[in-house]
Amino acid sequence: MIELGHFQVLSAALFAIGLYGVLARKSAVLILMSIELMLNAVNLNLIGFAAFVDFSEAQRALGQVIVIFVITVAAAELALAVAIILRLYRNRSTVNMDEIDIMKW
Amino acid sequence: MSLESIGTDWAWVIPALSASAFLVVVLFGRYLPGQGAFVSVSAVLLGFVLFGFVLADLLENGSSVFSFDWLVVGATSITWGVIVDPLSVTMLGLVTFVALLVQVYSLEYMKGESRFGWYFAAHSLFVTAMLVLVLADNLIFLYAAWELVGLGSYLLIGFWYDKRPAAEAAKKAFVTTRIGDVGLLIGIILLYKATGTFEISALFHSVEAGLESGLVSQTIVNVAMFLIFLGAMGKSAQFPFHVWLPDAMEGPTPVSALIHAATMVAAGVFLVARLMPLFEMAPDVLLIVAAVGLFTFVFAGTIALVMRDLKRALAYSTISHLGLMMLSLGAAGVGAAMFHLVAHGLSKALLFLGAGSVTHGTDKKGIWDMGGLRHKMPITTVTFLIGAASLAGIVPLSGFFSKDEVLLAVLDNRSPVFLVLALAGVALSALYIGRVAFVVFFGTPSEASRDAHESPWLMTGPLVILAIGAAVAGVLVFEMGGSYGGFGDFVASEGGFHVEWWLTGVALALAVAGVLTAWLTYGSGTISHSRLAGRYPAVHGLLVNKFYVDEAYQWAIDRVVLAFSRFVALFDRIVVNDTGVDGSAMTVILSALRLRHLQSGRMYNYGMAMALGVIGLTLVWWLKP
Repeated sequence: MIELGHFQVLSAALFAIGLYGVLARKSAVLILMSIELMLNAVNLNLIGFAAFVDFSEAQRALGQVIVIFVITVAAAELALAVAIILRLYRNRSTVNMDEIDIMKW
Repeated sequence: MSLESIGTDWAWVIPALSASAFLVVVLFGRYLPGQGAFVSVSAVLLGFVLFGFVLADLLENGSSVFSFDWLVVGATSITWGVIVDPLSVTMLGLVTFVALLVQVYSLEYMKGESRFGWYFAAHSLFVTAMLVLVLADNLIFLYAAWELVGLGSYLLIGFWYDKRPAAEAAKKAFVTTRIGDVGLLIGIILLYKATGTFEISALFHSVEAGLESGLVSQTIVNVAMFLIFLGAMGKSAQFPFHVWLPDAMEGPTPVSALIHAATMVAAGVFLVARLMPLFEMAPDVLLIVAAVGLFTFVFAGTIALVMRDLKRALAYSTISHLGLMMLSLGAAGVGAAMFHLVAHGLSKALLFLGAGSVTHGTDKKGIWDMGGLRHKMPITTVTFLIGAASLAGIVPLSGFFSKDEVLLAVLDNRSPVFLVLALAGVALSALYIGRVAFVVFFGTPSEASRDAHESPWLMTGPLVILAIGAAVAGVLVFEMGGSYGGFGDFVASEGGFHVEWWLTGVALALAVAGVLTAWLTYGSGTISHSRLAGRYPAVHGLLVNKFYVDEAYQWAIDRVVLAFSRFVALFDRIVVNDTGVDGSAMTVILSALRLRHLQSGRMYNYGMAMALGVIGLTLVWWLKP
């Protein structure tokens, strides 16, 4: 029997993996994928709550709406981020984040 | 509207006329013929005519006050009005009369000046300020006019501002009188704090009532009146504020005539006379007034004995006689002081205009460069001698009567010491003015006076009129029927004319003795003044150097004021600038140099910080009690 706890554990694991990816990977593309992973971990969490907790109909609907909203935003963000990475590659011939350290004094 | 309807309620028009003349000449002078000088002259002429109407109405119907609220703050209302009483009307007459003659004289004297129009505009401003000052019914209004008088004197003394001494003299006059003005302002504020009113007539009542009921302490009144007297000392050039007046001689001569006769220096005497009821409530301060006046009278008289510059000798004479007026006020002789103010004003305006005429004719300023001018400049000579005799106090000229009145007041209200010293001052006056007159107009003609010529009628005309005025103004002292019971009664209700024959005799004898000594020394040469100077070099040096007052001030400024200024400058540099301003800036820069390494520029550092921050916040939220 699948319960809320399973969703939460899976969601937390995915989120931690995503966070690790964002912080530890060097390739911008992989960082982007890790961000997607984190977003979907949150989605999973939201869906789990919407399905299992004893909420009213409107609140359940709200949880699902937020999930769809996050998916939409993630899609838009992905399009934008890929474009940025492409420009980055054109300009600096690399997507290695170690070499992109101009965000400082 | 008939002419009869012009009365005391028209008094405010007199300054308004001069004020509009100032505006017209300043704004449109350049489009008018003669740079608009005639506007100023006609304004003051009209003012003088109006004064006649005001005086007639005053004699018939008595004093009146017109005022309306100007500013109401809480329970205090500051009014904007005029007092028309014998005191102010006397000053109105003196100011408009002397200003009129001086302006007519200036038409000729200042001819050819590039800023001819501006000269007359400044004249109008000066006269306006003085007229407002004498008419003002409250101390705030009076103080504003008082400062305007200072401004007017600054503009006129510094008229030739491209000459360095003139610019310096104007500055000196302004700054020196300002020191007194601060006292005046504080005094006014003290009186206001004690009584809650600025209105002069209301002040008299509330201070008196306050003193009786104990609500107002005697100390406050004493301090306030002393501070107000400081203002009067500054404007009226009393020791130790007298230093600006001789330097003011750098201005055009007609300006000196105006400043010394009717405006500016008269303001201080007028202020004390106007506030006399308050001064009488502070008898100690009144004693100070008398002492300062007496000291100035004798002190300046001795300096006037040795001045080599004609105008400077007259300037010290003015200081001396202002001292006499203050002495009279200090002896509660308001009528006598005002009478001497008028008589001396006429004589001194005459003497200064005469001096201007002499300078005009010879282009010299030192009295030893003149000499023997009586053949070349007969009108100037005669009028100057009348003025000098009046100043010396020779019967029957106006100066004789006024000096007598002052001495009477001193005799009545002050100790014999004051009287004796005042008599000594009288002899000094006769001596120094005799010296000036004899050296300039008698004796052997000098190089310069051989080419001298009499001045044009625009200059001699005012001289003649003033000479007549100085000669006959003495009759004002007598009762003349109607409501006019002698000048003292008219101005200050001091009762009619009376006389103490022995005092008159002594004063006259001293004056004549002074003039005779002057004649023996400087006219016939029986007494050698150079040998006298040689025998007492210390005294002579002291007098020639004006008792080293200027030097003492210079020393005080160099050693005390500038030393303190240097200390303040150092404090500003070290504490305010280096520590306060630069110090905090340096702190920011230095800490920034260290802290900027926190910004690595690597994205994952920032990401790590964000993640740790979120975790930290979560822990805080989770663990909070």
